[in-house]
Amino acid sequence: MPSVRDVAVRSEIPPLSRVVTPEAVKAYADAGGDQNPLHQDEAFARAAGFPGIIAHGMFTMGYLAACLSRWAGGPERIRRLTSQFRAPVFMGEEIVAGGRVKAVDVEQRVAVIECWVTVERNGKKEWPIKRGEAEVLLDP
Amino acid sequence: MNPAAAGKTYPATTFTVDPQRVAAFRKIFGESEGVPATFVTTAEFAVMPLIVADPELGLDFSRVLHGNQEYEFRRPLQEGETVEVRCRLGSIRVLGGNAFLVLVTELAEPGGDVVCIGRSTLIERAAD
Repeated sequence: MPSVRDVAVRSEIPPLSRVVTPEAVKAYADAGGDQNPLHQDEAFARAAGFPGIIAHGMFTMGYLAACLSRWAGGPERIRRLTSQFRAPVFMGEEIVAGGRVKAVDVEQRVAVIECWVTVERNGKKEWPIKRGEAEVLLDP
Repeated sequence: MNPAAAGKTYPATTFTVDPQRVAAFRKIFGESEGVPATFVTTAEFAVMPLIVADPELGLDFSRVLHGNQEYEFRRPLQEGETVEVRCRLGSIRVLGGNAFLVLVTELAEPGGDVVCIGRSTLIERAAD
């Protein structure tokens, strides 16, 4: 678990990557209670203007939260987390969650992390989550 | 969507942080312990049928995209605990045919202090 003495502003936290599969997205739909067909039904997704089914924004954000949680030493260390959903994620793509320390409050033992989720698509970096921000409690 | 519905508060409901669902979340996201931060959204979703069916709001859920999500924790959620879910329509803005609804959901100790707050921005896209 990171100590407030060791966390440097502008340092990056270890990224977490994962290839998105229909099985994992279905498991999220069942656990999270969001059965929107956009995330399960190819024909429905195409009718809505997408080339195929897309992951829930919350599926992607769950990995961002997990990336922060691994670095911080548990989900209870996350005090605040905000995300903007900016691009869809398609099946078979690899999402990469990451973040960079923006500020450290030594007295409160809180790090402010700017965080994101990216994906490489047609040789270009897309940002399913952009301008995310988290407040994470650090060790003394 | 009716912008005049902003500020509306829905009757509180209860929600249990079901250990089996928490375990399913942990498995999906590869977390080893605790309640994942995004689990709060399962409580937000428990209230969703009320909002989707509200004629005063008139939300067309078939055109909804999730634009933004925020969580604020006063303390961690505990596995197995039952919380009160207090949901309100924070703001509604209409921009270029798209309507932006901020849904504010507080999870609180029954009759007591707020444990955490979820803020979801739902975008109702312009009709074709």
